[in-house]
Amino acid sequence: MSKTKTQTKEENKTPMVKIYIMGSAHEVPASLTIMKAMEYAGFKFTRGAGCRAGFCGACATVYRKAGDYRIYAALACQTQVEDGMVLTQLPFVPAPKGKYDVNKVSPTANTILKLYPEVARCLSCNACSKVCPQEIHVMDYIQYSLQGQISKAAEESFDCVQCGLCAIRCPAEIPQYHVATLVRRLHGRYNMISPETLEARVEEIEAGFYEEGLNELMNLPIDKLRHKYYHERDFIDQKKA
Amino acid sequence: MSFEYLEFGKEEKDFIEKIEEISGQNVYSCYQCGKCSAGCAFSSSMDMTVNQLIHLIQLGQKRRVLEANTHWVCASCLTCTVRCPREIDVAALMEAVREYHLREEPEKIIISEIPKKAYDKLPNIALVSNFRKKTG
Amino acid sequence: MVQYSYFPGCNLKTNAKGFEETAIAVSKKLEAELVEMPKWNCCGTVHTMTSDNMMRRIAPVRVLSRSKKHIDTLEEGTTKEVVTLCSMCNSTLKIVNHEVKQNHEDLEKINYQLEEDEECYEEDMEVKHFLEIIRDNIGYEKLSQSVVKPLEGLKISPYYGCMLLHPDEAAIDDVEMPSVLEYLVESLGAEVIDSPLFKFCCGSYHIVDEEQIVDTQVGKIVEAARLRGANALVVACPLCAFNIDHQQKIMKDKNHGKEPLPVFYFTQLMALALGVPLKTNHFEDHHIDPKPLLKELGLTGKKKS
Repeated sequence: MSKTKTQTKEENKTPMVKIYIMGSAHEVPASLTIMKAMEYAGFKFTRGAGCRAGFCGACATVYRKAGDYRIYAALACQTQVEDGMVLTQLPFVPAPKGKYDVNKVSPTANTILKLYPEVARCLSCNACSKVCPQEIHVMDYIQYSLQGQISKAAEESFDCVQCGLCAIRCPAEIPQYHVATLVRRLHGRYNMISPETLEARVEEIEAGFYEEGLNELMNLPIDKLRHKYYHERDFIDQKKA
Repeated sequence: MSFEYLEFGKEEKDFIEKIEEISGQNVYSCYQCGKCSAGCAFSSSMDMTVNQLIHLIQLGQKRRVLEANTHWVCASCLTCTVRCPREIDVAALMEAVREYHLREEPEKIIISEIPKKAYDKLPNIALVSNFRKKTG
Repeated sequence: MVQYSYFPGCNLKTNAKGFEETAIAVSKKLEAELVEMPKWNCCGTVHTMTSDNMMRRIAPVRVLSRSKKHIDTLEEGTTKEVVTLCSMCNSTLKIVNHEVKQNHEDLEKINYQLEEDEECYEEDMEVKHFLEIIRDNIGYEKLSQSVVKPLEGLKISPYYGCMLLHPDEAAIDDVEMPSVLEYLVESLGAEVIDSPLFKFCCGSYHIVDEEQIVDTQVGKIVEAARLRGANALVVACPLCAFNIDHQQKIMKDKNHGKEPLPVFYFTQLMALALGVPLKTNHFEDHHIDPKPLLKELGLTGKKKS
């Protein structure tokens, strides 16, 4: 009983902040992330939440702070609430994707402009980079794409989680994150050297080299399989052995 | 001989003011010598010459100005600007009319209607400049 | 050896590779090396002539700010000049540079937008076209002394296009009577063919949606040069080059027109005369192959006439 009381006291001690979710005020613990604060306030996510670890890009959030004109953007699962935050979720960004067969296009600026001609409208205003929660130099990779420097664009955009915030801020209406996917695919398909070992392994698989062993495993009863997995597994370094 | 009476009220004055504001030029500086049209590389493709268009701007004839193709045919080569004896930036006036149009109707060309095949060869410099001039 | 901060512009990386590669090669030979800026953005290609649209001026100002930073990293960069090859970039950057130097309020607004990117332009750069560097810093004398293979037999009509000469703030030479390309062509040992349409606009960006306008312009430009005996044109703008080169081919295919004239960038002619390897020219990107003409005149380096 007393234990519960102390807990309540501690809870009361937790500093609280006032945030505004889509216009309505909520008192939430200051230590929470935006996503947890919204759940604390009673919202239930049916969209706009995914991995909760900053990788999937599903929880794009736009907010302003008290007394600051700037529009901030972040991933709700990665950002702590602040007092006076006014926020809303952007669970989806409408931006159609170009259709292409990566084997039938060339790694050039023309391919990018063919699928996303609006790239040519880029004003280099850098609004996209400012809004990116991954701190990617979005404008720079869009410019690299326009210049046909596919590898540079692919490397610059590597950390993109496809939250789509860049596309929302763009005055030239470019879907930057789709362009990023395209340049990375082009880079992977045409500019990177595919590792020999991988190709050899794929060949082995396709030739049915592992078929027998796999079938054997598939036909084992569950307890034998469990034994194999936990006790018979071979962790010996093949090279040393 | 026939005459046409032109309205010259608030709407006309507002149009002139806006064009002057966007271009930073005084449209009444023009004394209609026609040097701009004479040196224009595109006069033959225009339905109204450059000085005629400027005259209509001076009269505030918004509808007729916007209906002309003159300012869209203009490719901003600036020959008129460097030659104008009244030192008007004539090309900036053409730009102002384009801009006036684009601020109301942001698409002179529909980008999605450009045939996809065109992108196989077009240099990006052409697309960038075209979209800057013809989309808002 | 002097080093210059060099702003390429988008097309030098795509369909005008020959322009860039030859320029860098000859710049090294002439001890005025062009060093590319590490990060750069499109200048906007056409300068906005509106008085109130600051958004469209951000890109060129950012280029100026970044080029300043680049110069500070150059070991032998003793100048405050950013050098361009494309004449559209040249014009856009020069006009904006002129404008913001005249109008501090505008520059403040633009710098305010650049603040978060840690960029700030302090009006301390000059924009130069490579042709100006050749004329003013290298000199025609040094150029002609460096020639190892005079371009005898080439009858070149210089085509300036609009943006090298217009407007006054961006002009690299006399607006109505330029001579920089003429002197350059002569220094290389080729013959200059004057054409009255040396700055008659090629139709520029109309190539996207009003191809017939470009066809009319290109037809006139090429015919004027041909009538006076030219066997090739020299340009400094990737868009002029594309329009004249590509549309001549299209027109020939359509109406069985006259033999088209090949189009060279001025740096390609320099590379040929200075003995730079032929492959840097990227003639495969040209729509009218200049190699047959060069071969006929014994200028490809393979055959000695």
